[in-house]
Amino acid sequence: MRIRISHTIGYDYAEPARHITQILRLTPRDHDGQHVMSWRIEPSIDGRLRAGQDAHGNIVHSFYADGPISALAIRVEGLVETIDLAGAVRGGPERVPCEVYRRDTLLTAPDDALRAFAEEAAAGAGTPLSRMHALMAATAGRMSCRDASGRSGVGAAAAFAAGEAIAQDIAHVFMACARHLGQPARYVSGYVAPSGGLAAGGGAHAWAEVHLDGYGWIGFDSANGLCPVDTHVRVAAGLDYADAAPIRGARQGGGSEHLSVLVAAREAGGRQPAQ
Amino acid sequence: MLSRTADSLYWVSRYVERAEYLARILDATSRLTNLPSDYGGAGTEWQSAVSTAGCEDEFAAAYGEANERNVCEFLTFHPDNPSSIRNCLAQARSNARAVRTALTSEMWDALNGAWLELQRFEKKRMDREEFARFLDWVKNVSLVFDGSAYRTMLRDDGYWFSRLGVYIERADNTARILDVKYHVLLPANEQVGGSLDYFQWTTVLREVSALTAYHWVYREAVKPILIADLLILNRRMPRSLAACYESISRFLDALGDAYGRQGPAQRHARKTLATLNNTRIESIFQHGLHEFIEDFIIDNSGLSNTIFEQYLQ
Repeated sequence: MRIRISHTIGYDYAEPARHITQILRLTPRDHDGQHVMSWRIEPSIDGRLRAGQDAHGNIVHSFYADGPISALAIRVEGLVETIDLAGAVRGGPERVPCEVYRRDTLLTAPDDALRAFAEEAAAGAGTPLSRMHALMAATAGRMSCRDASGRSGVGAAAAFAAGEAIAQDIAHVFMACARHLGQPARYVSGYVAPSGGLAAGGGAHAWAEVHLDGYGWIGFDSANGLCPVDTHVRVAAGLDYADAAPIRGARQGGGSEHLSVLVAAREAGGRQPAQ
Repeated sequence: MLSRTADSLYWVSRYVERAEYLARILDATSRLTNLPSDYGGAGTEWQSAVSTAGCEDEFAAAYGEANERNVCEFLTFHPDNPSSIRNCLAQARSNARAVRTALTSEMWDALNGAWLELQRFEKKRMDREEFARFLDWVKNVSLVFDGSAYRTMLRDDGYWFSRLGVYIERADNTARILDVKYHVLLPANEQVGGSLDYFQWTTVLREVSALTAYHWVYREAVKPILIADLLILNRRMPRSLAACYESISRFLDALGDAYGRQGPAQRHARKTLATLNNTRIESIFQHGLHEFIEDFIIDNSGLSNTIFEQYLQ
């Protein structure tokens, strides 16, 4: 499937900021299931934009600008071609041993309720793969997905207690349980194109990947209750949201800020991927 | 476009690229053999030139010993060597003549002129100086042909097929240079960083005109792992495998867009490009440079076959 993505993140500052630093994990890499045909990042103001990589192999851009800055918009435009590999992620940049992803973080630390939920969900299943599928189904059944606009994440345990959460926290809940069951799991941020079978979709999204012996990394999108298919564009991976966030920043001055996000991922259509 | 036309355009560029590559190998090898023997060269430079050109079997059948005279003759004018410079230019010209109307007149003039001038070189008895001039001339032919394609060809499927030929051949050539010299690039027990190593490493770089680029990129002494990094993974280096695959993938995408359908060739090229972009040189050395290069050469000719099956037959 060919997916066109356009993502604009806008900041308005109550008073002009003196200096802004932004860390952008907004550039996808190629792997067997996806091919980036074109990709561009355009900040609305002049500044230094430098590309680099982080420890997970994500492409990271650092953006520095000096003020006075009263508004900043970062615009991302891209075209990605995807193939349905039933969630398997092969041929990506694997920089660290997969055991690293068993580590709990602040956002994915499980509490007793989560541990009990994980053990109960996986109880009936035999192989590690079917345990993860059972866990995804249970998470999808338990958690209802909320629209992300205007909300921010609260972490796995709090989200689980509430029973409803934005996609990133549903991924945290799933990861907390998977790690509790002994599987390396990582957080993935990306985009989804809208499609009939998806409850949450049509923009920025987050899901989890689990490392299974014999299979490698496999994606689990518990907000939608399925493994990522060719509607998913994978951008960055990390230990949790804070580690793979699309955009993080710091600034001097500026008072309060108003954030607006406009994102659209849609099928570019026309061309059939298969011959 | 007829697949026959596409096939000819693809092979014209491949043969011209290969002729240039042969000239580069001969040039670099004669530089290396001109070193005083005090440096302790193994004396196998000419044999290694034959292996780099990928025609060991044909050479063994035609000659016994790999010395300067035999190798130069075999790689330049020998009629029985299918990829001698003479035969490459002959093949390029006959393919070009078959699709004369699909080429611009500048491209045709470059090839036809080269072919006529080649006859003059062939009759001459060349001394070393004259031979060096001949090699420069071959490189120049390729530059003129490539440049006129770049400047004059309409940007449609004909251009893309001709570019695919260039980059598939170039990727193959770079990989072959690395394959023959991989033992030079591996850490050895004795005297790493000695003067011989230095000259052999710089030879590898000279074969692909990358010596200046190397110093520009890395700003330090010539080191094997960095040479491999430059020639395999550095996308800024126009002859590196990653740069070749970036272009191959781009031109295959353009073909896919123009024809409204994609196939195994696009998928294959993207997969290789993703591998090259996601790998680091340390992990290539860890798993074996030789194995990596061998796999790459097989994979690259696999892509060439896929392109043939999808478009050229």
